[in-house]
Amino acid sequence: MALFSPPNLQNLSAFSAKPISLLKPQLLLLSKKPNFSLVLPRATENGGGMVGSAAPEEKLDKKEEASTPDLGKKEEALGMNGTAAAALKFQNPRWVGGTWDLKQFSKDGKTNWDAVIDAEARRRKWLEDNPESSNNEDPILFDTSIIPWWAWMKRFHLPEAELLNGRAAMIGFFTAYLVDSLTGVGLVDQMGNFFCKTLLFVAVVGVLLIRKNEDIDSLKKLFEETTLYDKQWQAAWKDESTSSLKKD
Amino acid sequence: MATVPVFSSGGLKTFVGNPPENPTSPSISRPLSYRSLRISAAKTSPKLTGRNLRVVVVGGGPAGGSAAEVLAKGGIETYVIERKLDNCKPCGGAIPLCMVDEFDLPLDIIDRRVTKMKMISPSNVAVDIGRTLKPDEYIGMLRREVLDAYLRERAAGAGATVINGLFTKMDLPADNGSPYTIHYNEFTGVGGVGEKRTMEVDAVIGADGANSRVAKSIGAGDYDYAIAFQERIRIPEDKMVYYEDLAEMYVGDDVSPDFYGWVFPKCDHVAVGTGTVTHKGEIKKFQSATRLRAKDKILGGKIIRVEAHPIPEHPRPKRVAGRVALVGDAAGYVTKCSGEGIYFAAKSGRMCAEALVEGSEMGKRMVEEGDLRKYLEKWDKQYWSTYKVLDILQKVFYRSNPAREAFVEMCADEYVQKMTFDSYLYKRVVPGNPLEDLKLAINTIGSLVRANALRNEMNKISV
Repeated sequence: MALFSPPNLQNLSAFSAKPISLLKPQLLLLSKKPNFSLVLPRATENGGGMVGSAAPEEKLDKKEEASTPDLGKKEEALGMNGTAAAALKFQNPRWVGGTWDLKQFSKDGKTNWDAVIDAEARRRKWLEDNPESSNNEDPILFDTSIIPWWAWMKRFHLPEAELLNGRAAMIGFFTAYLVDSLTGVGLVDQMGNFFCKTLLFVAVVGVLLIRKNEDIDSLKKLFEETTLYDKQWQAAWKDESTSSLKKD
Repeated sequence: MATVPVFSSGGLKTFVGNPPENPTSPSISRPLSYRSLRISAAKTSPKLTGRNLRVVVVGGGPAGGSAAEVLAKGGIETYVIERKLDNCKPCGGAIPLCMVDEFDLPLDIIDRRVTKMKMISPSNVAVDIGRTLKPDEYIGMLRREVLDAYLRERAAGAGATVINGLFTKMDLPADNGSPYTIHYNEFTGVGGVGEKRTMEVDAVIGADGANSRVAKSIGAGDYDYAIAFQERIRIPEDKMVYYEDLAEMYVGDDVSPDFYGWVFPKCDHVAVGTGTVTHKGEIKKFQSATRLRAKDKILGGKIIRVEAHPIPEHPRPKRVAGRVALVGDAAGYVTKCSGEGIYFAAKSGRMCAEALVEGSEMGKRMVEEGDLRKYLEKWDKQYWSTYKVLDILQKVFYRSNPAREAFVEMCADEYVQKMTFDSYLYKRVVPGNPLEDLKLAINTIGSLVRANALRNEMNKISV
């Protein structure tokens, strides 16, 4: 045992900086959702045991061949039964055989897709709060792509479309005026010009991406996020290659 | 110092592979920094007399083992220091098909051949990926102790000396020619902390994993790491049949906020685990969520081992310093998204060793940082794009539940599966069909938009 203890200590200190705080989220969870209560005893036990977990781990190492892991058994008894009792299944009269029964959604002979979207949103919400065990006998067959595109458009785009179209038209008109006054190229000629087409494209994309002021911030964050990894990789070349070289 | 500098032009071969970009201009006009990075060391590096180059490989995993083999075959006096020769590491143990050929692995070290992969979305939509695999294609699942021992034995067979010991620290040399002094505890026989020993070497390969001491002693800097938590569960025979050749991936906020949960088949049990970078403190919660999501399939199982391990997220700021190079996990070569590391570790070990063999001209000559930099250069050139693509995939598709739903929807597409498996199994990027690519892009954006629209609706419900 003593042979391995130094590296293990290092291991542990690396990834369990605050073992005590492990317990907190689970306690919170408990207070919110009573049906998790059976999971908790095992979880806390594990959480608290994390500090010392290297020792039993190594012991188990050796026992693997002997296949009498009494420690594992104890955990199993708690863990498996606990989760079994906690699991709940999503149930709804319109949810039949792993999909929404579209017949029950019909209105005037047509499927009421709005109601399907509502129902699915509710189901996903429910699942987020009560994750469900996946099962091979009872697969989920519902696929959001069966809802036709116009149903999504009608529901999510149209309320905003007026605003976006208006904004795009105003920006377009103003840019066209600006380009005309600066260069003397008329509106009709601008249509045939590559530069002007690019401007038009930028305006449309901009209107679509930046709908609210907060969007600018989130776009900025997104950009930082995408360049972070590159920076981390290029760090190895930083000190030497400041002047001329770039890694290719 | 046993080395005698020899500057005779006859015996000196510069590296023809990497000539200065502008051979006509005198090298003095170049900025100094440029020279130290690019121009090969062979011009100035002295020949060794009376002995060959001595290299120690710290760590005897896939990276260390494959490095040592190449070094030993290349005429270099090679030592491998491994602290535990039968170490069962907490590791998924999946290797791509091309590794079997490239490293000439015997087929009997592969425990299982996974041909089916199931992705399960937050709303439990399960998608089989792997339908496009040809009959002879599979993902190999193996036990790390078997693979590591095999690679080490092969290195020993090629002439490397394997030492069962624990590397403690190393003294950096005062100047370019002097040796590194390695301090280690050699374990001889039973128990105890082992005997303190030292050894002098000319170059060091650090292949000692995520908590690398070699990296620490050269001040290589840190990386962000994910913690992977895994339970080995022995499940009843009838349940095991399902996992015969199938692995499962669970995605969802409940399972992991930025990675996935898995059920991988092992030799006679399954490994159930999950990982995260951002919420390490809650790993136990994620683990029980993973177990819950797989509950029906592993019911009645017994936990036989519990393991946890850090997984690097990106390379260390310094991967080469002086005559010390880092490879494998020590350098941080684990892909995002899939979390694959074995193949890249073995590959980097080999590449680094090849650079040393080439730089020392089969062990006859002293090496310099420039020689090791060649390995770095080659590595980044060959694999950077792979890492970047997987990073983008992780950022786009693991960021939220709607994105994950879209990811699973996307994976149902046969074209995606084919491309994914081709690039995973053979580690090469085959240009796709542009029409299919376009179709895929449109479908994916469609999936993302739908899933996010639903998410907006879900948010309205809670208010």
